[in-house]
Amino acid sequence: MSTLDTKTAEPAAPAATARTPRGRRRDPRRPRTAGHVPFGRRLRRDRALLLMTVPALVLVVVFNYVPILGNVVAFQDYDPYLSTNGVTAMLESPWVGLGQFERVLSDPGFWHAVENTLVLFLLQLVLFFPVPIALALLVNSVLRPRVRAVVQAILYLPHFFSWVLVITVFQQILGGAGIIAQTLRQHGHEGFDLMTDPAVFPFLVTAEGIWKDAGWGVIVFLAALAAVNQDLYEAAAMDGAGRWRRMWHVTLPALRPVIALLLVLRVGDALTVGFEQLLLQRDAVGPGAAEVLDTFVWWTGLRSQDFSYAAAAGLVKGVVGLVLVLSANKTAHLMGEQGVYRT
Amino acid sequence: MTPNAVSTDSRRSTPSRSGSGQSRRGFLASTAVAAAVAAGGAPLLTACGGGGSGSGKKDGTTTGKDAAKLLPAFVASTVVAPDIAPKNGSAAGFTRAIPGAELKASVTGRRGKGGALTIMAPFWGPPPAPDNPYYKAMNEAIGVRATWQNQDGNVYDQKLGAVLASSEIPDVVVVPGWNLGGRIPSAVDAKFEDLGPYLSGDKVKAYPNLAAIPTDAWQRSIFGGTLRGLPMPASYVTNIAPFYRKDLFDAKGWQLPKNADEFLALAKEITSAKAKVWACGDMTWTAYNMFGVLSGSDKALGWNLVDGKLVNRIETPEYLEALEWTRKLFDAGVVHPDEKTQNQGDTGNRFTAGQCLIYNNDLSHWYAKTSEQAARNASFAMAAMDIPGHAGGLPKLWATNPANIWAFIRKGSSKAVIEDALAVADFTAAPYGTKERMLTDYGVEGVHHTVKNGLPVKTDKGNQEVSSSWMFVASPAPYIAHPDTPEVTRAMTEWQQRMGAVTSKSSFYGMTVTEPSRWTGLMNDFEQLEKDIVRGRKKVSDMQQAVSEWKTKGGDELRDWYRKLLDTNGSAAS
Repeated sequence: MSTLDTKTAEPAAPAATARTPRGRRRDPRRPRTAGHVPFGRRLRRDRALLLMTVPALVLVVVFNYVPILGNVVAFQDYDPYLSTNGVTAMLESPWVGLGQFERVLSDPGFWHAVENTLVLFLLQLVLFFPVPIALALLVNSVLRPRVRAVVQAILYLPHFFSWVLVITVFQQILGGAGIIAQTLRQHGHEGFDLMTDPAVFPFLVTAEGIWKDAGWGVIVFLAALAAVNQDLYEAAAMDGAGRWRRMWHVTLPALRPVIALLLVLRVGDALTVGFEQLLLQRDAVGPGAAEVLDTFVWWTGLRSQDFSYAAAAGLVKGVVGLVLVLSANKTAHLMGEQGVYRT
Repeated sequence: MTPNAVSTDSRRSTPSRSGSGQSRRGFLASTAVAAAVAAGGAPLLTACGGGGSGSGKKDGTTTGKDAAKLLPAFVASTVVAPDIAPKNGSAAGFTRAIPGAELKASVTGRRGKGGALTIMAPFWGPPPAPDNPYYKAMNEAIGVRATWQNQDGNVYDQKLGAVLASSEIPDVVVVPGWNLGGRIPSAVDAKFEDLGPYLSGDKVKAYPNLAAIPTDAWQRSIFGGTLRGLPMPASYVTNIAPFYRKDLFDAKGWQLPKNADEFLALAKEITSAKAKVWACGDMTWTAYNMFGVLSGSDKALGWNLVDGKLVNRIETPEYLEALEWTRKLFDAGVVHPDEKTQNQGDTGNRFTAGQCLIYNNDLSHWYAKTSEQAARNASFAMAAMDIPGHAGGLPKLWATNPANIWAFIRKGSSKAVIEDALAVADFTAAPYGTKERMLTDYGVEGVHHTVKNGLPVKTDKGNQEVSSSWMFVASPAPYIAHPDTPEVTRAMTEWQQRMGAVTSKSSFYGMTVTEPSRWTGLMNDFEQLEKDIVRGRKKVSDMQQAVSEWKTKGGDELRDWYRKLLDTNGSAAS
């Protein structure tokens, strides 16, 4: 997030020189911060901006930070029904140290869920991730505003469909009694059923994801494309660069920081591959193909009230996610990109 | 559950209710209340509370002398003699409509003290507005201000787990037996009030309709050695009926199958994928009944004493045979493809649409689908076939429980709240032929139903609002009453009687057993495995593997534990 902070801070402190008040030379790699302005003054100066962040901050604290405290149940044998409310029950539940983690890590069901999660992640990374970029380039190449608006609307629309609807639409088209299968049957061929085939399932999930969300993913790339200085294209064209060369030497380099940023975020989220979508289709192909970490946590936690076990599994997932995002960020730095943040 | 489901819920169980085909939850969705899982949903969620001999014990059951101290006295109350007397465990059938002027009052005056009451209950389908005319009329008649918190019945177990863990528990909470999984039984003991001081022995006589609830339903309501639940009594005969499209069967001259092989052959004949017609839905539950598999509706019901040894349903050859046979149906392509996904709506809809000509579900669907189609498809006719024995002849069926859904009152409620809740229960448990029953089942005349030729017929508003909810707080002895379709009422009751004639009770019939918590998760994965096997994703041998793992992980110890329970408490089996 600090990239954003520095961006907002920079225009506000145009006078900042390369020297800090203490006279030390700033690390040139470090973006400038407003660190040299006294805290109280900054507070007054930025109060409007700070106020604007309050609602978001409250949300983050209430829904992200406070629940972190609940993770203590991962080290307990938590029984929420021991007491009048969940918090006092937490105080009364016995501590079991790392017992729940031992259970999680020795549970083949957990590892199976990890495996499914990673397979889906890799598949989505390869098949899904490039799609919004390609679409953005495509939309960007459409010059007529009206056509462009229509294309964009069509691309964004599926994002607003619920998963229930998306899955039903796919079922109606690709299911065993779907349009395609029935049409084939009516013409004397065999029908098929793509919706209940565990082998096809990872591709099905990816396809559903692309249909629903690839268009939405275009937005951020379009924003990046809009920021490209048009003079560069002109200059490149003057130098005799054709369409492909302009894309290769101007457009894609302009998108690179955004791509790197999103890639890092995506990798950090590797263990989150869609919850509702998979839960809805869990019965259609069985947990063998559809159980991912999130559905595993849901199943063990809420269905059997084994909250401690689910919390432990969730914590493992969180820690692995943190390691992933840190290493992906590091990798981005090594490749000369800004990544999500620099320290 | 069936009779209640039938009498009160069937009208609600329109196909529009949610539900994903054959998943257990989906099934309930379409069946309305209950009975649920009977034929085979997983034992997954079923242990019930009960407290050893003597109260205070966290696991076990309460029977005999200890139970006698807790059970309410029984005072029969019949306002109208049933047209079809109960037999072989069936419900009582009422085929005649009672004219409004002849309806009796079973409750004198308004029993409630006018207090506010929050009630949480499962609901399948889109729930009515919170203060609709039906709820208002009921509140007015009972003398309470009840507010309903209707929750999606399909995911009620999750909601229940979360609500009971919070400090915001509603005054009255409805808990179906199939949601008693994981730690819920311990929550029931910890969070709900002991009703003994209000209902045990002769005290119940202050509530005449509750006093008329059969004792075996009360027996099921003892949790943790304490009388905690207000039961919804049910016939113990299996509630899962295999329905077929009688109109289409007659037109094509198809004969009902007499054994498992004939069923498969007929299914192949019926199926014409090209014409978008498949023979059946997921028939797993019927397969369990055809092959005589012990009931899966309750963990304790799944145990039976065979030659001096307790055997669990999953260890029986019948269980594997039933799965194998159902797998053949899927294999042969006679099952509607959408049944495989279990996320494509209700099988009942495919049945009425003629895309699937046989399906199994709660007996109450017989009336619900018939009355729903009456206005839409004049030629529509359906019936339940008698469950065929897998090798021909009669099947061997196992009893479900005489009550499998309860309302509980929050622990620490004031006396006023408890008495108001009991006033609601006494009202909704009124027998057929009373004003209370009429209002509960048919709503307000002119708003929720009209009377045509002396028969009450529900209006659209009635179908929408008069559903579910109130009868969950308590219901009378099992009954089936659909005066608008007397022939269906008769057929349903008689089906129960024929099936009841071949029904036996397993060793723990009628007991509410709480398993020690270390074993409550043992069977969690079996329901899924059953689905995987019949759908061809796993092999029957995987089940054998799972069963042997179950034994070593605690199944054998659990057997010993149940054995001790049986030796201490005796069996209710017959």
